[in-house]
Amino acid sequence: MPHAEPVAAVPTDAALIAAWQGGDEPAAAELVRRHARALARFLASAGAPDADLDDLVQETFIRAFRGVGRFRGQCRFRTWLLTIGGNVLKDAARRARRTKVVALPDELRATDGDPHERAVAGEAEGRLREGLGRLSRMQREVFLLRAQHGLEYEEIAAALGTSPGAARVHYHHAVKRLKEYVA
Amino acid sequence: MNEHELEKLAQRLGARAAERLDVERTAHAVVTRLREAPRVSVATRVSMQPAWLKVAATVVLLLAAGAVTRALWRSQGLASAGGEPAAAGLSDLSTDQLQQLLEIVDKPTDEAAPAYPAEASLDDLTAHQLRELLRSLEG
Repeated sequence: MPHAEPVAAVPTDAALIAAWQGGDEPAAAELVRRHARALARFLASAGAPDADLDDLVQETFIRAFRGVGRFRGQCRFRTWLLTIGGNVLKDAARRARRTKVVALPDELRATDGDPHERAVAGEAEGRLREGLGRLSRMQREVFLLRAQHGLEYEEIAAALGTSPGAARVHYHHAVKRLKEYVA
Repeated sequence: MNEHELEKLAQRLGARAAERLDVERTAHAVVTRLREAPRVSVATRVSMQPAWLKVAATVVLLLAAGAVTRALWRSQGLASAGGEPAAAGLSDLSTDQLQQLLEIVDKPTDEAAPAYPAEASLDDLTAHQLRELLRSLEG
């Protein structure tokens, strides 16, 4: 009879956070590996320029690890991380307005895939990105947390410091306005 | 476009940018940065403030110091130079004026008026109280 290999238990985010607070650097690195891409997607959707994405992801993790004592488990670590990312992006946008950096459009910056296909796909995405840029910050973050990351209104509300009902209203306002842009 | 299609589009948004992210390099960079600067001290936070904030803080400190100095200077000036001229000025008052002054001193105080002791004589008044009395006489 074949002997089943014991499966190593995957540590939870909470366990990794506790380990990091105890000085375990590999635990911090593992949390970055788990959540970096989701964070990058959120930041890119919310308007982060490609060229700054790596820096913004790093900065978000640095802030999160330094302020991890304030994380009380009111939502998932990833959700909390995304809201910190929103703050980091807002600060970066404020600095960028002072330095007046002109970002290239996505179609010019992207270098992978078929150019025509990329252009067609990029058109709708570009309109959505533009629409997102015109929403209020709360509407934008609620929409992305719900539509892109599939979170429930209760968790979104806990992360953004609002009520589930208000989060629902923000989401529907966002959808209504985005439909006008993308249509 | 309906809501479902919008959500699908949102799920694709940023995916290419996220794929280009070198996660291992990011993890290494984050850990290195945390190791090099584990916590920002208060002194470091102050040194990291923008220049305008430092200038504003300096101006506020200077204004506060100026206000304190001025208050101290005024109180010392009143204590040292305020008494004698006020007292000396009494000799220049006419009999009627002195009578009015005494009436005011003898008058019972109310909440709005300065708190002079009812039985106090002119000698018992402080330089500040005398100055207020003289000012009230002058109308």
